[in-house]
Amino acid sequence: MDNNFRHRRVKIIKINLSNMILYENKRKKLISVLKWGNNPFKKFVCTGEIREELGLVKSRKDLIRKIEKIVEEDKNFILPIIGDVGGGKTHLYWALKNSLYRYNTFYISLEYIYKKFFYNIYSEFIENLELAPLKFIINRLCDEWGALERKFGFFHVADLEKIKNFAFKLLSNKYNDMETETLTNIISGIVAHQLDPYKKIEAERWLLGELMDAKELSSLNISHDLRKGKNAFMMLMLLIENSKSGTILFIDDFEKIISITEPKDDSAEEIYDPSWLYGADKSPDDIASEKVFDKIVQLQQIEGLRIIITLKSIDSLEEIKKKYQEQNAELLFSIKDPLFLLDFNEEDIFEFYKESMRYFYENMGISDFINAFQNPYFPLNKRILRNIFENTKGNPREIIKALIKIFNEIIYSDEKLDAVLENYENIC
Amino acid sequence: MSDVNGNILYDSVKGIKKEGEFVGSIITRCNDDKDSIIFSDNLKISNSEGIFISNGFKVGFELIYNKMSAFSRKIDELNIKDTSSIEYSILIPEDVMQVYDEGQFSDAFPYTLNKLNTAALYLDEYPYGINHLDFFKEEMLRNPVALVGNGILLADRVVIDVRDDPVFYDCLIVGRDENSNLSVSYEPITTVKKSLTNVKWIIILGIEELKL
Repeated sequence: MDNNFRHRRVKIIKINLSNMILYENKRKKLISVLKWGNNPFKKFVCTGEIREELGLVKSRKDLIRKIEKIVEEDKNFILPIIGDVGGGKTHLYWALKNSLYRYNTFYISLEYIYKKFFYNIYSEFIENLELAPLKFIINRLCDEWGALERKFGFFHVADLEKIKNFAFKLLSNKYNDMETETLTNIISGIVAHQLDPYKKIEAERWLLGELMDAKELSSLNISHDLRKGKNAFMMLMLLIENSKSGTILFIDDFEKIISITEPKDDSAEEIYDPSWLYGADKSPDDIASEKVFDKIVQLQQIEGLRIIITLKSIDSLEEIKKKYQEQNAELLFSIKDPLFLLDFNEEDIFEFYKESMRYFYENMGISDFINAFQNPYFPLNKRILRNIFENTKGNPREIIKALIKIFNEIIYSDEKLDAVLENYENIC
Repeated sequence: MSDVNGNILYDSVKGIKKEGEFVGSIITRCNDDKDSIIFSDNLKISNSEGIFISNGFKVGFELIYNKMSAFSRKIDELNIKDTSSIEYSILIPEDVMQVYDEGQFSDAFPYTLNKLNTAALYLDEYPYGINHLDFFKEEMLRNPVALVGNGILLADRVVIDVRDDPVFYDCLIVGRDENSNLSVSYEPITTVKKSLTNVKWIIILGIEELKL
């Protein structure tokens, strides 16, 4: 009996000890993980290229619902989203992409794309659409053009010239202002891809927007690849209008159109005067902005293309409306009332911090840390987060920058955690 | 297996004869020596005029200079007053045809061989037997038609495997069941073992002749 009792006691003590050690270790282990140089907050700028996994905070979910409603109710519109610099406009794109997964949502930034505008948009569109849906649309188009006609009730004997002629007749009636050469190129590319097994590979490269030399193009009976003229625009139009899923184009930094047209400060000294080359009336920036504006107006002709634009202020929106009023007043009605992307509220910063840490734990393979600490904001605390919120006035980018700074100090400082945090607890 | 009771336009075995004009995908099997087959998108049956087909496509074998040759030819107009020369005419249900159509544009086989002119791949008939299966071993040929057992097999493509057995892809099969009732089925793949099955003939339809 004695032996048994002793054995049980030792066992209980061992269990308690191991629990205690585990609890203590987790705090230390997290600090060690951080000290290896792992900062849970790394990026304070979101881009259209790198996927964002974190969703939106609670106060912004209503915004997503409003956008979803507009997208479902209407097929052609421009929806302005207004938010400050660093307010999370690009992050909103990723949240929308995840939420509206049934749609082909793709992103461009006018900051970077203004040359070869249609070609660049087409490349982004195709990259998001992927090959299988592209083939499905092409297949359907060829069916409409008569590729599935059954000879003698059974045999699909595709007469390529007949199909091309029929397609040309259809498309030239529908898109009567499109150049003949553009239509011929598009039809040849699509028909070769779908119905000519010996040209399929080359045709697929052409469809994917690859740059091709004259020899490759001539084998397809095509004069130019998609960079030239309106080839890319016509392809975009065909694919979007025949796509079963809707298409959403998210244009970031839309005020680029305005900023380059804003009057220059005359007092600024200019070494190079553009008027020497372009005349006194128009600067190269004016010409560039007009071209981009014209192209956006052309994009609006595409049936089923929903455009979401981001702007930094309501004034920019007024400028854009003025531009539409001057140049294309009938399209003014397609601009929806703006939605505002507000800064974080106090609850948002707590939620955002917890979600970011959860994502960090999962990525580091320590998911058991998610609920391991009594203080759910460990290694920080509620007071520090509140201080950050007050200092940054809820601007998401500034909040992330502050968090990066604190975590960097935790990682690289030789002081104890409490000592590091003390400085931030007292800042107000 | 598709319910085709309503789609049997003429059946000499079961005594079915539906009067009227029919359009769609129609297979007519002839009661001649070589079991010729007529593919057409229309067919008219009347008691007084018999069976009338316009713009059809007849496939079969014929003896030329003591040699059997596969043929396929377009029929502008064919009026069959003596319906005993026809075994059956059947309209393939549209749902089956749609499944058949979907199998046509497969990206998996970009380099399928198209024969320009119609030719026999296989004929099991003494003394005119033809067997080119070995020559086309491991190749893929477009538009085969075969008479296997008592059934007609129309496929999008056929591959001759390493044992010289034909494997048909995207197949429409018309045949009779144990009660001699006509049936239509669609099979994505049909492997035909020559050693086990009564393969009467396989013809590869020429793409140029289909275009006529």
